[in-house]
This record gives sequence, structure tokens and C-alpha cells, in this order.
Amino acid sequence: MARGAWSARLAQGDRRILFLAVAATVAFPLLWPLNLPIRVSREARAFHAEIEGVEPGRVILLSFDYEPDTMAELDPMSLAVLRHAFRRGVRVLVMTTYAGGVGIAERVLAQAAAENGRTYGTDYAFLGYNPDFSATILRMGESLRGAYPTDHYGHPTGELSLLQGVDRYADIPLVVTISSSALSEYWVIWAGGKYHARIVAGNTAIQAVLIYPFLQTGQLAGMLGGLKGAAEYERLIGRDGAGVRGMDAQSLAHFLIVLFILLGNLGFLLQRRAARAREASP
Amino acid sequence: MKRTGPILLGFVVGMLMLVQFFTPNPWIAARYNNVLDWKQVVFGVTLILGVLSLLLHHGRRIRRRVAGWSYSGVTVAGLIVMILAGAVFGKERGPYPWLFAYVQSPMQSTLFALLAFYVASASYRAFRARSLHAGLLLAAGVIVMLGRVPLGEMIGFTVAGRFYSLATLSDLVLTVPNLAAKRGIMIGVGLGMTATAIKIILGIERTYLGKGA
Amino acid sequence: MSAADLGVVVAALLTLAVFSFLYRDNPFYRFAESLLVGVSAGYYVVHYFDAGVVRKFWVPVVQQGQLWLLPGGVLGLLMLARLHPRGQWISRFAIAFYVAAWSGYLIPSVLQERILRQVAGTFLPAAGTTSVGALLAAVLVLLGVAAILVYFYFSAEHRGLLGAASRVGILFLMVGFGASFGYTVMGRLSLLIGRFQFLLQDLPASLRHISH
Repeated sequence: MARGAWSARLAQGDRRILFLAVAATVAFPLLWPLNLPIRVSREARAFHAEIEGVEPGRVILLSFDYEPDTMAELDPMSLAVLRHAFRRGVRVLVMTTYAGGVGIAERVLAQAAAENGRTYGTDYAFLGYNPDFSATILRMGESLRGAYPTDHYGHPTGELSLLQGVDRYADIPLVVTISSSALSEYWVIWAGGKYHARIVAGNTAIQAVLIYPFLQTGQLAGMLGGLKGAAEYERLIGRDGAGVRGMDAQSLAHFLIVLFILLGNLGFLLQRRAARAREASP
Repeated sequence: MKRTGPILLGFVVGMLMLVQFFTPNPWIAARYNNVLDWKQVVFGVTLILGVLSLLLHHGRRIRRRVAGWSYSGVTVAGLIVMILAGAVFGKERGPYPWLFAYVQSPMQSTLFALLAFYVASASYRAFRARSLHAGLLLAAGVIVMLGRVPLGEMIGFTVAGRFYSLATLSDLVLTVPNLAAKRGIMIGVGLGMTATAIKIILGIERTYLGKGA
Repeated sequence: MSAADLGVVVAALLTLAVFSFLYRDNPFYRFAESLLVGVSAGYYVVHYFDAGVVRKFWVPVVQQGQLWLLPGGVLGLLMLARLHPRGQWISRFAIAFYVAAWSGYLIPSVLQERILRQVAGTFLPAAGTTSVGALLAAVLVLLGVAAILVYFYFSAEHRGLLGAASRVGILFLMVGFGASFGYTVMGRLSLLIGRFQFLLQDLPASLRHISH
């Protein structure tokens, strides 16, 4: 085969081979785990320390700000946070700013509560979905019961024992947002900025890279980023889950992508050199 | 009236929401809460409007028997079944949560999972280090990709008893140049948002009201 | 067979139907895609109606007599006027209300949290640190932010010192975009890992359950 044709094939690659390689790289470690060690980041330790610092019996707010499209990254995080809170006797008030988050929140909450023997209304409650996240976040700063007169199941929030003495951000030591979008920024801007709530955020990887500025200024007290963040948190609470299980596949897949980038650029360089050689020859 | 009325309403409401930030006046605080409550109703109705538009669009496709109209039939059927399931059996048990958990959720997450294959394909076929800038972008991407996974965290060297890995380099990239870049963009976008918001309240920016505004 | 086990099988089939798009566009994928649009629209409309109309308007106004919430319902009705071409001007009142309210509470919050706090966060670490490494990092962040803001200043031509600063800003931006690219790859692969975990772990467990 002529050198130019060979380098062109290397530069282009075969889509089917690329797809199969990705699938195999992800599937292999899920079936035969490598159990690679996981290093916990500073941001994850800070997140963990915030929940560790909440006194048992106090109420924290956990907002499921995501939908099924990103649940693979964020479900492990939410579950780990709930397990941590319930194990410490911290009570959790759950809400969601996405309609699609309702089913997710109910599933994850039911699992965590059942594992830890927690009672609805006393140890946790689910406020459900309110339209318009900005109005909801701001309204809760004035009055939680004003924003949510009833919980998701129609119980008047004024009658829930969980909410006795809890009606504003000032009554809540920590706000946790698990978010797939810029919602974590809006929690910082409104709940943190206007009402001085203390906030930690769990985000998808795509969103996590954007909020380092808030972490550096202290507007966010801690952060978990992507499935890796979930794995780190699972290690911190001593209970491995889908986050840790996915790390081997994540590792191999990342190295595969880097290999793709190198091979593609190698093919491009060789192709360019062959083209120059053709131009130079008479 | 068709143009001035909305702009005047916008000015009054916008100024109220701006002023309440700076005053503890109870009357203004009460109006602020009212506006927030009304906004939620408007938001809910607007989203319902979006779904109604979807229904009308697919209904037209079915009536006119355009190419692929049978798929529009599937869409409309899914919409009606879901609404009936929620209305008749309730949101908490029965077919409504089942359809969410086993039909909507898996498909919604799989649709996004497809992107992993296309990102991989693009990494091979499209991401070229053609210039210094592109090379810098790729280098940063590679460092972060490798440094944020367990395998990359194991690759490194020890100096004076301390282990420096790709994770150390990745942290450095994220907390220094990346931080600067994201902060610069954040400040720039923030200034733009503020300017646009002021123009909206003052009625200078009216494109959001549609044609003829 | 329980509803959950049946559900897992249905979910697996629909997952494979969506994955079939990787081979090429086909009727299974198009069916799955159309079904998703319809089912998710139906899901959302039930929640929007319940949360936005019933709980936020009908119950408080009609059942509890909280008449100060009536304007919200009126504005919502005005929004529905968009459905008719000749009534679209009526919906402008609702849109103006909504957008202006958002703009009003956005201004002080964004100024304070996205601009002033961020500017403070850029200067203060450089001023308040004693460690050499931290000082170097803080100075680099300060230079980077300043250079990027110069790059975004389009009211003057980027020549001379302005041009040099702008070029430095671009370098920082490229590193930032590279980090975003790396994290985007990470995020997308995580979503794929989640689906594979479902197909390789949850599905076999359900099939074993069904067969017993």
C-alpha cells in the first residue's frame, strides 16, 4: 500500500473499530474488576467534612437537581451522601428542581432510608418538585413552608415533625445540591449570596470543571466531580458502590481516548508529510 | 398598549425585585414573595404550553400523513398513555412511575451515553494539534483525563519522599490556569448578564417580546 | 415475573434499541426515540400541571381562599394566548412579567457573587499568602484573569500591550477549554459505564430471577 494511503487510513480510522474498542474497554473491567486504588481529592474531603460537621438531629437540605440523562454519574453520589447523613443521625429534607428528578429522588431516598431504618416525616421528608428553580430557591429563603405548603405526598409541611423549628436557610446548617447543570451556581448566587446558606455541590464532570472559582473563594464549601467524585465519597464513607465499581472502566477508557488522540494525530502528521513529499517531488 | 403595556409592567416588576434586595421593608418583602409565587404559576403554564405545542405539531404530521407520520403516532400515543396513567392511577404507584423507571429513564440515559462513542470517534478523527493553541488545548485535556482516574494517579515519581503523579499535575492545571480561565469567563458573562438585565428592565432590550415589540 | 423484573427486560430492550443507532439509523431506534419524546412529555406535563397549576394556584386560591395568588393564574392564562396567532400580543404581558422579575433579582446577585466576590478571590490570595508555591499560583491566576478580561475587551484594537495581554489570555483560555474537554470526555464515558453496568449486572440478575 502507498505510504500516503496508509497514513490516510491511519488518520481516518474505522468508526466500527473505534466503537468496538470503546465498548470492549468499558465492558471488560466491569466483568473482571481490576480494583485499582482510588485517591481522594481535597474537594471531596472538604465535602465529607461538611456533613461530618453537622450535629446529629439537625436537618440538612438535599436537592436532586438532575434527571435520568445524568443519573449514571450522580445517583452514586446522592446515595452516598444520604447513607452518610443517615448513618450519622443527620435528618434530611429532600427536594428537586427538575420534574424528572422526582422519580429519581424517590427511588434513591427509599433505598437509603430502608437501609438505615429511617422514618418518613421524622428523619426525612420529600418536598417534591416546584416549577421555576430560581423562584423556589429564593422563596425558600423567606419561608420553606411558604415555598412548599405541602410535601410531595400532600402532607402539610407545617405538620411534619422534621420541619419543627426549620423554616429558612438560617435554620439549616448545610445545603447539598447534586446537580447536572448550572443549578449549583444558582444555589451559590441566591441561597448562598442573599441568604448566606452554607453550600456543598456534587456535579457532573462537565459542570464540575466550571465551578472551581466558587470553591476557591469559599462560596462552595466542598465539591464532588463526576463518577470519580462519587467513588471518592464512597471510599470516605467506607461503603463502595457504583462509583467505585465504575473506576476501572473509567481508567481504561480514558487511556484509550488518549491513545486515539495520539494515533489520530500521528496519522495526520504522516499524512501531511506524505503530501509535502508529493508536492516536492517532480 | 400592545408594546408599551408589557414594557411598563416589566419596569415596575423588575424595579421591585431589584429594590427588595436592598431594603427590609415588610411591604416590599411581601410583594417580592407574591411575585415569586406568581412566577411559578406562569412557569408551570409555559411548560404545559410547550407540551401542547409538541402535541399540535405531531397531530399535524399525522393528519397530513407526512413521511414518518407513524412515528408521530408513537409519540402522541406515549404522551396520552402517560397522562392517563398519571391522572387515573396517580403519580405514586401503578403504570406512571413504572413507565418513568423502565421506559423513560433508561432511554434518556442511553441517549446521552451514545455520546461517549462519538466523543471517542471525534478524539481519533477530528482532534488535531494543528497549532500551538490546539496543542495546548489537547495537552491540558490529556493531563486532566489521565490525572483524574486511578490508573493515572499511580503514574508518577517520588521526590524528597513525596509522590508526584499525573493527579498532581492535573490538580495544578485545574486550580491555576483552568481557574483563571473559568473565572475570566464568569466575570465577563456576569457583566454581560447584568447589562442585559438592566436593559430589559428599562425597556431598551425588547427582542424577548417577539416580533413588533 | 414481578413488575420490576419485566421492567428491567423492557428497559434493556429499549436500551439496545437506542444503541442500535451506532450501527445506523433504523426503525427500532426511531421507534424508541419517538416513544421517549412522547412518554417524557406526558411525564413532565403531569408534574407541571400538578406542581404549577394545582398546588400553586387551584388549591390555595379556590380551596383556601388565598386571593393574592389570583394574579399568577391570570398571567398564566395570558400566556396561553400564544396558542392563537392573533392572541400572541396578549402573552407579552406574562412574558414581560416573568423576564423582568428574573432580571430584577439577577442583577444584585450576579454583581455580588459572580463579579465582586470573584474579583476579590483573584486579588486577596495573592495579597495574603506567605508560601512561595501558593503565591506563584495566586499571581498566575491574577495575571490569567486580567489577560482574559483584556481579551474580552473589544472596544479597542488588540495592539501593542493590549495585544500581548490578549494573546496571553488566549493561552489561558485554551488550557481552560482543554480541561473542559477532558472533563467532558470523563462525563460522557461515565454515562456509558452506567448503561453497561445496567446491561452487564442488573439485567442478568433480573433474568436469573425470572428463570427461577
